[in-house]
Amino acid sequence: MSIKFPQGVGRIVHAEIDSTNAEAARIAASLSGPTWILALSQTAARGRRGRPWAHQQGNFSATLVMQPTETPDRVALRSFVTSLALYDAFVAVTGRTDGLALKWPNDVLMQGGKVAGILLESIGIGSGVNHLAIGVGVNLLTAPDSELLETKAVAPVSLAGAMGVQVSPEDFLDVLAASYAKWEAQFVTYGFEPIRTAWLARAARLGERIIARTTREEFEGTFDTVDEQGALVLLTAQGRVSIPAGDVFF
Amino acid sequence: MLGKNPATGQTEGSMTKKTHDADVTFIQALAELLRENDLSELEVRRDYGESDSLKVRVSRKAEVVTMVNAAPAAAAAPVAAAPAAPAAAPASADPASDPGAITSPMVGTVYMAAEPGAAAFVSVGDVVTEGQTLLIIEAMKTMNQIPSPRAGKVKRILVSDGSPVEFGEPLVILE
Repeated sequence: MSIKFPQGVGRIVHAEIDSTNAEAARIAASLSGPTWILALSQTAARGRRGRPWAHQQGNFSATLVMQPTETPDRVALRSFVTSLALYDAFVAVTGRTDGLALKWPNDVLMQGGKVAGILLESIGIGSGVNHLAIGVGVNLLTAPDSELLETKAVAPVSLAGAMGVQVSPEDFLDVLAASYAKWEAQFVTYGFEPIRTAWLARAARLGERIIARTTREEFEGTFDTVDEQGALVLLTAQGRVSIPAGDVFF
Repeated sequence: MLGKNPATGQTEGSMTKKTHDADVTFIQALAELLRENDLSELEVRRDYGESDSLKVRVSRKAEVVTMVNAAPAAAAAPVAAAPAAPAAAPASADPASDPGAITSPMVGTVYMAAEPGAAAFVSVGDVVTEGQTLLIIEAMKTMNQIPSPRAGKVKRILVSDGSPVEFGEPLVILE
């Protein structure tokens, strides 16, 4: 695979590290530009809200760390930028779009299964954030046991298992970095609208009934759209509801 | 989410003028405890002497929200736990206008700890340093840590774990 790594973006590869997001936080202040940190093995991989993320050899674990200039609410929209980039990276390595779909806000589904996880962490208030770490884990080779999953969660799959394509973590990084750089440029230049439009075009269950669960409530309704702030919009029996944070279930 | 979680209190028992202020402080502390720990009711009996005691029950109304993003930051009195005494508990001004207020930079969900079951980043009375994480606000799966803009003592925490917040809503008040 001959993909050119985007100009001006750093590339660090570790044989083993605790967590690429933790490393990102440690080195963020010393970086001169956006940098991808790839770890071939993680000893303390983690998901959102302390959920375990099993890193298995041959799978992909990397973090893009950057110092964005937008306010925290705009920075959070990179959830969509990242999932779009990941979707396109899968298209690039498989040559196929069938079986791929996005689930709000940043899940990439492959043959209906969970093939990747994205964890964005930022620190900041007011006009900007100190740094943003976008952690991306992809089951390139193997899918973890589904025992760790909560009820109704999407079953894990791997790229190799679902699509029959094997890619090394280093090669996948080059593809993802190029794909991310493309969507990041769109976001920085034109704002959220082109990202939102492209994301909706790849969304699963648009116009269908879905369930969204927040920390306090559960909503069931028709998946109407994603609004200009990135919130999930559902048409429920009680009316139109927009949800900025929560989990979606089909 | 003071507007949605009005704390109400009832008191029984005798109260002398002298202990009134102390009792008000005590009740305010209970209301704070209720909110911080996400409890719905708390009852405490305090004995001052053989025939002098104070019994306080503080409870919160169940939260009724139909729209996740329809939470106006109402300028409600933070503690409506006024004892059955001549003077009512002093109602604070809108916490958003407090000079020590740290407000939310985004719409989202509040997390008081790094992960479920972990210790809270800060509690009332803690002295924090500049840049120390006060809490996390999540929006669209982005976990944004809110750092303290300066050193100071945490006077009040106005949100609880898992509660939705609006842009500009006061989160924490530093002394």
